[in-house]
Amino acid sequence: MKLNVFRISLPVVVLCCLVTVIPAADLPNKPLPKLKLFSTGGTIQGSGPRRDEVANYKPARFTPKQLLDDLPEANKVADITCEEIAATGSGGIDTKIQLKLAKQINAWLAQPDSAGAVVTHGTATLEETAYFLNLVVRSDKPVLVVGAMRPHSAISRDGPLNLYNAFRTAVAPEARDKGVMVLLNDEINAARDVTKTNTERPNTFESRDLGPIGFADSDRIVFYRRLLYRHTHKSEFDVSQLNELPKVDIVYGYQEGGRAAVDALITAGAKGIVLDDSSPGFAAAVKDGRAKGIVFVQSDRKGSGRVLEKETSLERCIITADNLNAQKARQLLRMALTKTTDLKEIQRMFNEY
Amino acid sequence: MKTTSVLIALGSLAHAITAQEIPKAAPPITKDTSHLPQVVLVSMGGTIASRAADRMNITNYGGKNTPRVDPQDWLHDLPELANLARITLEDFRPDVDRKERETFEDMRTVAKRLNELASDPAVDGVVVTHGTNTMAEVAFYVNLTVKTDKPIVFVGSQRPWTGISGDGPINLFDAVRVAASPLSRGKGVLHCMNYNINTARDVTKTSAYRIQTFKGVDVGVIGFADPDKVVYYREPTRKHTLTSEFAGMDFESLPPVEIFYSYTEAPGYVIDAAVEHGAKGIVVDGIGAGAATNSETEAIKRAQAKGVVVVMTARVHGGRVQETVNRTAANLVNGDNLPPEKARILLQLALTKTSDWRAVKKYFDEY
Repeated sequence: MKLNVFRISLPVVVLCCLVTVIPAADLPNKPLPKLKLFSTGGTIQGSGPRRDEVANYKPARFTPKQLLDDLPEANKVADITCEEIAATGSGGIDTKIQLKLAKQINAWLAQPDSAGAVVTHGTATLEETAYFLNLVVRSDKPVLVVGAMRPHSAISRDGPLNLYNAFRTAVAPEARDKGVMVLLNDEINAARDVTKTNTERPNTFESRDLGPIGFADSDRIVFYRRLLYRHTHKSEFDVSQLNELPKVDIVYGYQEGGRAAVDALITAGAKGIVLDDSSPGFAAAVKDGRAKGIVFVQSDRKGSGRVLEKETSLERCIITADNLNAQKARQLLRMALTKTTDLKEIQRMFNEY
Repeated sequence: MKTTSVLIALGSLAHAITAQEIPKAAPPITKDTSHLPQVVLVSMGGTIASRAADRMNITNYGGKNTPRVDPQDWLHDLPELANLARITLEDFRPDVDRKERETFEDMRTVAKRLNELASDPAVDGVVVTHGTNTMAEVAFYVNLTVKTDKPIVFVGSQRPWTGISGDGPINLFDAVRVAASPLSRGKGVLHCMNYNINTARDVTKTSAYRIQTFKGVDVGVIGFADPDKVVYYREPTRKHTLTSEFAGMDFESLPPVEIFYSYTEAPGYVIDAAVEHGAKGIVVDGIGAGAATNSETEAIKRAQAKGVVVVMTARVHGGRVQETVNRTAANLVNGDNLPPEKARILLQLALTKTSDWRAVKKYFDEY
């Protein structure tokens, strides 16, 4: 065992010395960092009937290989291979695809010579998958999730630049330990905080409370923020042995909203429910749901600011979602329920992730 | 018919409302304060330290004939502060009768005192009140020159202390909570108003009168002083306080640096005039991504020939001025995403170390 380690580490030490002694510019054939493009589909791979058609198109028509072939400049940034995980739009992404994606990314990033990963995704649920990955990727190597607001067939398509910038960011040393990042429109947003804010504009992704953490500008990749909550390699969640996740659903709160939706979801097998704001019917539904062991999380439909922890929150058996939106609270509650159903413990997770 | 509908309306109310009184007294004040952190409250004045003759006056306040709010008035009006920290007071308000306002001397004096307070082991945190107009640049100066990882929190208000719905009391209360929180350490100089915790580098005033005026335009807040707790999500990566090359330094004066705003037909002769007056650095708040007019560009070349360092910022106030081939060829420092008033302060400090534009550029890349 010891001998083996020695045999592997000696060449590594020699290589390290070479790298530090010889300046990069003097190495004509310096190997490029290795990246993998994991594709799931979305508008960034979408195709429409004409190039002026930016609304009526089909997602996931161009293969990842085609995206790379259309972007030869990326070959100067990194040595890029692709792996197709799915070929669907945002609406087609399910737990099965998410788990496969996470496991394949973990396998790739566990390889010592991999530098990072880039994922294509439809924009409508991109933030959900990105936050899910932020909870379960077990590496501090950069993971970038990219999308586009215009299909690859259209004029002024935003996909190629988003993809190119994602590759640049994924090989930037400063991008390590920043969790999973979402990159569209030159802005590097943290997976936890970013949300889609507009139905069609290329600047749709924003972190409403906290802003971007950096920019993929033409002159350099620049970061202004370090993240303080737990993510990726600091996360306690592990999907390696999981083939499914607990069913968690969301109910939107509004005037005169009843309890019927909550009851129906529980009947259908929900183990957890995110209440997005409040309806008059929720209180009774929570009381009955708790008797069946269902876990409830309170988020807020306003889209900015925290749900405050009040003295009565846990007394009412409701976990507060901090400033996670409902769809992200759902992702975290699913992972939390793989570990525990204890309310205090789940509240701790909502305070830390 | 009428009676019935009234009855139904009443019946649908969850409970009848009984008359309430606005609580006038503070909650019980803790007797044993030994466990509380020590926070120094430094007054540099500002709207938060201003009074008006009546409470509906929220714009024309202060002035020579209205008494100001003394630091001890804050403690008197907000006895709740005693539950948050052991508070000591320091008065650094500029003299009302003085002709000069917003001087470097004000900034220097307080920075010097903050360095002393920071090295006092008894002090856990500091709150500085300041007028909102220039507080962001003063906070940035402190961010670069005070050597500490203890929280220093700038606070102000948009409405006078006496104004109706004044934002001063809750801002001050929150700033003390932030300064008293161990979570606030090592994050550089902070700014707290309207529940938002911003960094000194990134915060800027964006509205003349609204209480949500302070924003991190490009990169947002790093945390919140929410009613339930002080919470942080991020910390700044750029150099500040302990990692700043200027930390702990006291400057009698700084090299003169002037700012020029660009617009169609903006002339270069005002830049010439500044150089003739002895300016060692120039910040041009350029159009678009940080560009000057032709006339300005000629003046910039004349200035550079005399050893003046020129920094480009962008009047669009969002996004970075980037390093480009043309800018490098023209020996121009790209001002990153600093607004011109903060670029000016960084340039002044950088010029105390070097007058080489490339060395100055390094400061703009790192701070």
